[in-house]
Amino acid sequence: MARHFSETEVIATLEGLDPARLHAFVAAHVVSPVVTPQGHAFSEADLARLQLLCDLSEVYDLPDDSLAMVMSLIDQLNTARGDMRALIQAVATEPDEVRGRIQKTVRRLRVVTLSRDD
Amino acid sequence: MAGDPYEALGLTKSASDAEIKKAYRRIAKSDHPDLNPDPAAMARFKAASAAYDLLKDPEQRRRFDAGEIDAQGQERAQRRPWRDHAEAAGNPYARSYGFESDPDLSDVFSDLFGRRGFGGFNRGGAEDPRNFHVRGQDYRFSLQVDFLTAARGGKTRITLPEGGDLEVTIPKGVRDGQTIRLKGKGGQGLGQGGAGDAYLAISVAPHPDFRRDGDDILLTLPITLDEAVLGGKIAVPTIDGPVNLTIPKGATTGQKLRLRGRGINGGDQQVDLKIVMPPRVDDDLARFMEAWRKDHGYDPRAGMKAGGK
Repeated sequence: MARHFSETEVIATLEGLDPARLHAFVAAHVVSPVVTPQGHAFSEADLARLQLLCDLSEVYDLPDDSLAMVMSLIDQLNTARGDMRALIQAVATEPDEVRGRIQKTVRRLRVVTLSRDD
Repeated sequence: MAGDPYEALGLTKSASDAEIKKAYRRIAKSDHPDLNPDPAAMARFKAASAAYDLLKDPEQRRRFDAGEIDAQGQERAQRRPWRDHAEAAGNPYARSYGFESDPDLSDVFSDLFGRRGFGGFNRGGAEDPRNFHVRGQDYRFSLQVDFLTAARGGKTRITLPEGGDLEVTIPKGVRDGQTIRLKGKGGQGLGQGGAGDAYLAISVAPHPDFRRDGDDILLTLPITLDEAVLGGKIAVPTIDGPVNLTIPKGATTGQKLRLRGRGINGGDQQVDLKIVMPPRVDDDLARFMEAWRKDHGYDPRAGMKAGGK
């Protein structure tokens, strides 16, 4: 962790990324590099994000504003997924009785049971 | 890539360049690991992108078809999907997904996950159309601190996006991946809405000598042959400066000594001894060792199970 990459390093590492595209991504706020006296610095996570951004704009021909919308949805989903994972892990460590109560409430709220006519 | 790159794209050797591109884009659309959580999709996507990397260049494709190069060695550097980073705690791109504005659930939500607002657009959190009190936006920064500052605590300055700078106190013992919240240091609110908060995601830069295990500091300490044989007091670096440590007579590589209370917040410093030979074995040492081993030989490998003599 903690390793950072300069703009030049990022462009050299990622195929399909040129300076213009990188600047467009930064300007569209879909990637937020750390600001250092030597210019922008990108983390390992930023690199993975930029790879996804390149894939999305390449494969779907997405213009920058649509890209921002798509990234917003992906970010919401990933944040929710991370929270959900934490919550499920927390539930998993609870005693059976607590889990049973939670299960009951969730079922009541989320699972529709159709009564069958015999 | 193990198999046939044409097969990975669902094509045959006779496919045109346009068909190759089309096939790759089709697989990328359905199987991109950030869009499709199915592990099988990830495998298909990996195979297809490796195949595409090989075949998209006509010259490279000609050489592959002619058998001059094989499909190996064309693999892109292993990449970690964005999703792996994105689900991690402290991801600076984390984004609100709707509970903050739910009057019944927002308290439960912030109790659980400790968040009220997020970066990105659509900021501002709960907005009641009847008034215009909007809490200022939260700022999120990544901040790298050096190992010793993280261990001992300290102060650093960061520059805000709106200009101006802010002095930040780094608490003693902060860990990689932790987030520091600076209350009220975010954007200005509207009306009676207070200012937002600033969140600093901390990354700790590694130190050439010290490492960390919770509140313990780990250090590998090189010692000389004579220090190992005779023992003695030597000065050991700690995060708060050098401290004298007694090396026991007959110390050996891998032996661990503990400096109590010299870690972080009451933790210890663990010292891992490592015997280092002199840069050159001179005649005196060689002569002494030859004489010594005649009647002091020992076998440090006696307990090994792997055999060999």
